[in-house]
Amino acid sequence: AFSAGSRLLKGCRGGHIVIRFALGGCANRPFFRIVAANSRRARDGKYLEQLGCLDPLPNAHGEKVVGLNLERLRHWLGCGAQLSRPAEKLLGLAGFLPLHPMTVTGAERLRRRRQREQQPGAAPADGSAEPGTGT
Amino acid sequence: KPAFTDEAVQTLLYKMTGLDLHKVFRPVKKDLRPPQYKLMTEAQLEEATRKAIEEAKAKLIMPPVLNEREPIDDVLAEDKVLEGTETAKYVFTDLTYSIPHRERFIVVREPNGVLRKASWEERDRMIQIFFPKEGRRVIPPVLFKDENLGTVFQQDRHEDVLNMCIAQFEPDSPDYIRVHHRAYEDIEKHGKYDLLRSTRHFGGMVWYLLNRKKTDGLLIDMINRDLLDDATSLITLYHVLHPECQSAKEAKEGKLQGVDLIKVFVKTESQREGYIQLALQAYEEAMATSSAS
Repeated sequence: AFSAGSRLLKGCRGGHIVIRFALGGCANRPFFRIVAANSRRARDGKYLEQLGCLDPLPNAHGEKVVGLNLERLRHWLGCGAQLSRPAEKLLGLAGFLPLHPMTVTGAERLRRRRQREQQPGAAPADGSAEPGTGT
Repeated sequence: KPAFTDEAVQTLLYKMTGLDLHKVFRPVKKDLRPPQYKLMTEAQLEEATRKAIEEAKAKLIMPPVLNEREPIDDVLAEDKVLEGTETAKYVFTDLTYSIPHRERFIVVREPNGVLRKASWEERDRMIQIFFPKEGRRVIPPVLFKDENLGTVFQQDRHEDVLNMCIAQFEPDSPDYIRVHHRAYEDIEKHGKYDLLRSTRHFGGMVWYLLNRKKTDGLLIDMINRDLLDDATSLITLYHVLHPECQSAKEAKEGKLQGVDLIKVFVKTESQREGYIQLALQAYEEAMATSSAS
C-alpha cells in the first residue's frame, strides 16, 4: 500500500513512481514497453527506466513474448513504486506476484456469459434481439 | 570410463589433428584488399611462425562433446480458473543481465492455465531474441534438415556445415549431435578423412569412430599418407577406451610399439584385415626403397 512515508525516491516532485505499460508500435500493430515512470508524465513520455516489453500479438509459434527484468523490478518495488492494474495482472500471469483477483473474476464472468449464450439456444436470443433493434 | 575431456585423451587427439598452417589460416572470404608484403630477417620470420603456431593452437581447440540434454517438463502452478480466457500462450523471460543463460527463468503460461518451465527449444529461441549471439538465428536454418545435409556433403563442405552448427546450436542439443553424427557417418562412408584433418572437428570425429569401433578406414587413410605416429596414437586411444579387448591385453603384456602394435590390432580387432595388411606392405616397401636409395 502506498504511504507518504515511503518517499525513498525524491526524484519525482508531486507524483509517485509507477510501473506501467507505454504503448508504441505502428497502426494496427501495438507494442508495449514495461516502464518505471513518474505517474504525472505522459503515457509514452520520458520514463526513468525500461523494465521489459510485451508483444500483444502472437508470433509464428503462437506465443506472446514478454520480457521482464526481474532484478530491476524488485529494486523499484523495493523503493516504493506502484503498479498499474494491467501490470499487476501480467505479473500475476507470470507467477512473480500471486494471481490478480480481477483475473479470476474476469475468467468466471466470461465463463458464465458463454454458458448463458450456449444453453438457452435460439429462442430467447430472438426474444432479446427484437427489443434491442426496436429501441 | 574414460571421458572426452581426459588429459591423456585430449593430448592424443590433438596430436592426431595435425597442424597444417596453410589449411588453418586459409584465406576466409573477406573484403577485397590488396595483399600486404613484409620484409623480414630469418629471426623475424621464425618469430612470426612461432606466433602463427600459437594462434593456430588457439583455433584448434576442440568443441565439447556432451550427452543429449534431458527434456524439461516442470510445472510450477496449475490454475484451472484461467481456462478459456486466453487464446495464445505467454512466454515470460527474465532479462536480468548478470545471470548465465543456463540459469535464466523462462516460463510459459498456457491457455489452459498451467504455468510451466519452457522447453529447451523455446529457451534457445527466447535467449536468441533478447540476447542475440553472432552467427546464430532465431529459427535454425533449413540447411540443418536431413534432406539438405546430403546435398552439402556431396559438395565436400563438411567443415563449413560443422562450423555453422557450432554457432547455431548448444553442444548438448539433439540437433547439434544429430548434425555432427551425420557428418561423421558421411565422411566415414566415403573415406574423406582429410577434409577435417587440420580443423578443430577432427578430435570429435575420432572420438565418435572409436566409440563405435569403425576405425578401419581411418587407419588405412593414415598408413597411406605415411602418418605412422598418428596410427599408433589412434590404437593407443582405442586401448584406453576399450581395455577389455584382446589386442589391448596383448599390447600391455608385450609393450609393443609402432608397426607391431598396428599388426596386433589388425589381427584381432579390425574388419578389413586385407586392406590394412596391403597398406602396411606398401608402406614398408616404400620405406625400404627410400632408405636404400
